[in-house]
Amino acid sequence: MLDAITNYLYSSATPGEAGSMFWATIYILLITIGVSLAVICMNWLERKILAHMQVRLGPMRVGPHGLLQPFADALKLLIKEDIIPQDSDKLVFWSAPVVVTMTAFTTFLVVPFGREHAVTDMNIGILFMLGVSSLGVLGIIMAGWSSNSHYPLMGSLRSSAQMVSYEVAMGLAIVCAVLMTSLQTGTGTLSMIGIVESQAQQHTWFIFKFFPLGFLAFAIFAIAMVAETNRAPFDLPEAESELVAGFHTEYSGFRWSLFFLAEYAAMLAVSSIAVTLWLGGWLRPFPNWLSGAAWDTAFSLVPALTMFVLAGLCLLGVVRMPKIPQMKAQTLGLLIFGLLLGFVGLVLLVPGVRERVQDIFWFVAKVAFFMYLYIWYRGTFPRYRFDQLMKVGWKILLPTGLGVLIATALWGLLPQLSSAVFGLLGVGGVLP
Amino acid sequence: MSLSPLVRKIFLVDLIKGLKVTFNYQPPSEAITEQYPLERPVIFERYRGQPRLKVDPDSGASMCIVCNLCALACPEQLIVVKGERNPVTKRKEPVSWVYDLSRCMFCGLCAEACSTDALELTQDYEMALYSREGMVLDQAALERGQEPVRYVK
Repeated sequence: MLDAITNYLYSSATPGEAGSMFWATIYILLITIGVSLAVICMNWLERKILAHMQVRLGPMRVGPHGLLQPFADALKLLIKEDIIPQDSDKLVFWSAPVVVTMTAFTTFLVVPFGREHAVTDMNIGILFMLGVSSLGVLGIIMAGWSSNSHYPLMGSLRSSAQMVSYEVAMGLAIVCAVLMTSLQTGTGTLSMIGIVESQAQQHTWFIFKFFPLGFLAFAIFAIAMVAETNRAPFDLPEAESELVAGFHTEYSGFRWSLFFLAEYAAMLAVSSIAVTLWLGGWLRPFPNWLSGAAWDTAFSLVPALTMFVLAGLCLLGVVRMPKIPQMKAQTLGLLIFGLLLGFVGLVLLVPGVRERVQDIFWFVAKVAFFMYLYIWYRGTFPRYRFDQLMKVGWKILLPTGLGVLIATALWGLLPQLSSAVFGLLGVGGVLP
Repeated sequence: MSLSPLVRKIFLVDLIKGLKVTFNYQPPSEAITEQYPLERPVIFERYRGQPRLKVDPDSGASMCIVCNLCALACPEQLIVVKGERNPVTKRKEPVSWVYDLSRCMFCGLCAEACSTDALELTQDYEMALYSREGMVLDQAALERGQEPVRYVK
């Protein structure tokens, strides 16, 4: 029994492949905790970055530089009174946030954080992810309908219309990427791990493949995913200035925080789809240009170095804190946080850990870039009108997506097509 | 600059410009927020805040000569000054001063009217109170001025 558990550690397969129930459970727990932690970090980062873009400081008082603000907020939400409107449909009202949260978290089952760092390698991984994340719309409609109130209903209708229309363009873009896995190698795959591995085999990230087709498909997905997660500039369902809060207007306390959690988890999920399909998943940057064992070692040091840089920033913050008695606790807190980050950096230097963690690091770094983009968009772009939103979805993204799909297929068939043509002309054998 | 509108739209030129603007505003040094209790705001020279009655630094006697000009100048009529002639110095000295801060709109007409520059609206601004009780200032309070607020547990 114990052997079966420890044997897994020496294999290089996902728990799903190895058939290990125990490790699958551990992975699921780790991913749930990791995603929740990421949502907490994202909460703080969004407030800070958005504030700085708007020439403000953001949270500064709860903990050093407001580091404890998300925890304070979470505590506040948990002890808030739980209000259920009198005329609401109680059962549906109760189950809506559960559905939304569950769908958002279930998608992470197939997200490959590394070659062996995924719960399981499903052979229809990308399809599973799209299907489950689309179920989230159901939860949103349930929330809007059961609230028995005008704003939530309007919000949920807008939300479902938007999500349904952008899913089409999104699907077309994804098909482009899936098509690219089958070209040249001959065997296509829908598995998330398979997609990344085919990028490794073809020595290119799909964003650079068939330039500009890969990039166009990626751009379509990047726009559609913002609309899909109801974020600015496509945040009409939650339009704060028009609909109060959209579909979750009537929700408060813990239920509201579930919606919040689900929204950010969904953002993480679509970002990881984008990273897996176009940005090479867990593959490190410049595998062709900077190849060789020396560069491999150098790149495996990057996670530790990043931690050291963050720790250094914290220590810089400690030095720059105002030297007054009131700020003593905050300075000490920041110092401890900095030392903690430095310690994590030291742990990441250990060779065994280094080898195992760098996949996860590159994946998370790429997802973090997308999360930054989300905040950046929110800080910059004004909200679209609803007709503009539909126009962008149906009249621009959808035809472009179709065109890119056809062009990708033709480009991929080019070798066969040309040899067929040459064969007809009687000059066969020139091309492989 | 001379790009056609269509090209600008396709390559999202304007959106990228906007992204650049917000990106450049990110360094914390750009932030204009003041961390109020920790750092004191810069008060403008002509700011009119808490009223104060000056005393002669040498003798400690009030500089007010009870000419009543401030009370006459006040549009809210919130200043009431009573005085008596000192038989020794032959100067008029204030006996009671009432300055009702709760009605004051800080127009500064009283300070302008003051013939000896005794009354002044200082740059102190921390005048918030929990009730109206302490808002009617007497001579002692006006001469003492405002205590600097300290935020200590």
